[in-house]
Amino acid sequence: METIAVYWEPRIKTYGFQRITDLALIEFSCPLSKIKPLGEILSQDDLIVLRPKFIIAQVSNHEISFIICLPLKESKDFHTSLEKTSSPTLHKYIHPVSIIFFHGPHFGDRYGIANATFSSLSKAGLKIIASGCSSASVFLVLAQHDIDKAEEILSETFEVAK
Amino acid sequence: MAKLKIGGLKQSLELCQFNLRGLDSSEEIASKVSKLLLSQKINMEFLTYYPHRNSYHQLTFCISQDKFSTTSEILKKEGSLPIGWEINSRGQVGIITIFPHQSAIKILGVIMVSWAAQSIPIYGIATSLSAISFVTDYQLIDKATDVIQDLFQLPEDHAPLKSEIRYCQSDIVKGD
Repeated sequence: METIAVYWEPRIKTYGFQRITDLALIEFSCPLSKIKPLGEILSQDDLIVLRPKFIIAQVSNHEISFIICLPLKESKDFHTSLEKTSSPTLHKYIHPVSIIFFHGPHFGDRYGIANATFSSLSKAGLKIIASGCSSASVFLVLAQHDIDKAEEILSETFEVAK
Repeated sequence: MAKLKIGGLKQSLELCQFNLRGLDSSEEIASKVSKLLLSQKINMEFLTYYPHRNSYHQLTFCISQDKFSTTSEILKKEGSLPIGWEINSRGQVGIITIFPHQSAIKILGVIMVSWAAQSIPIYGIATSLSAISFVTDYQLIDKATDVIQDLFQLPEDHAPLKSEIRYCQSDIVKGD
């Protein structure tokens, strides 16, 4: 069954912006051939306490890279535990970073949401450290000092539904 | 051993994936590409963006399989992307979204191990507040789902795995 939705919105509506501050971003990678041993490390019971706020993984050149944002305290422990292993390879540990995220009606099914987000932030000169959009949500990782400005810009671009 | 509980599981329709990779440019790539896709009214159902080490940036996105040719053409058109950017595309991918109650890292690790054992590839991952989405081969999506159903405990009143409705956005209202 196909359902066609028509939207007439001078500004795209969202359910509102939420933010998570005081996080650290960790980037690590491993060859795709080593994905199973990496999975074994991540599925260890002592990591069950971790509450990641953001995870993305990208594949290129036979390698998979993970970008994970964790609360600062958890990130230190996780970083230390990864350092003790020979694989994966750690690349970046950035802190403090913040996340701003939002979702809206059928965001996963509609064109134009990504453009409204990235164009407005780009025009304002804000650098996005990482982004992940899935399941009708938009997640943006920014330097902590940029988060107020980002929310201000996005609030001008999108309309928060009342 | 008791199975980890998850809140739900969902499969996407057939999609395709584009990986764009290149050096940082004055024009922000996510903004540029999303504008190009907007011009063709193409929705990005999945997107990850990250400026990797060595100044390389990577934008990965998934769109409906039926937009593969249109998107390839607009991306390959001269001037669409900054000079030197690589385009890698992959047809026939699908997304499996898992709604975990908790333990996202553990769930991630368990799936990586189990899919690797069954030669099921992972082409991308992104999380939202309550879900983890995995991009894999569309032809293996049922097998990948079976593996997950064997590993985790789903609620008894679980919703259908496959979407029964396809939503499309239009600026034209069709008459009855």
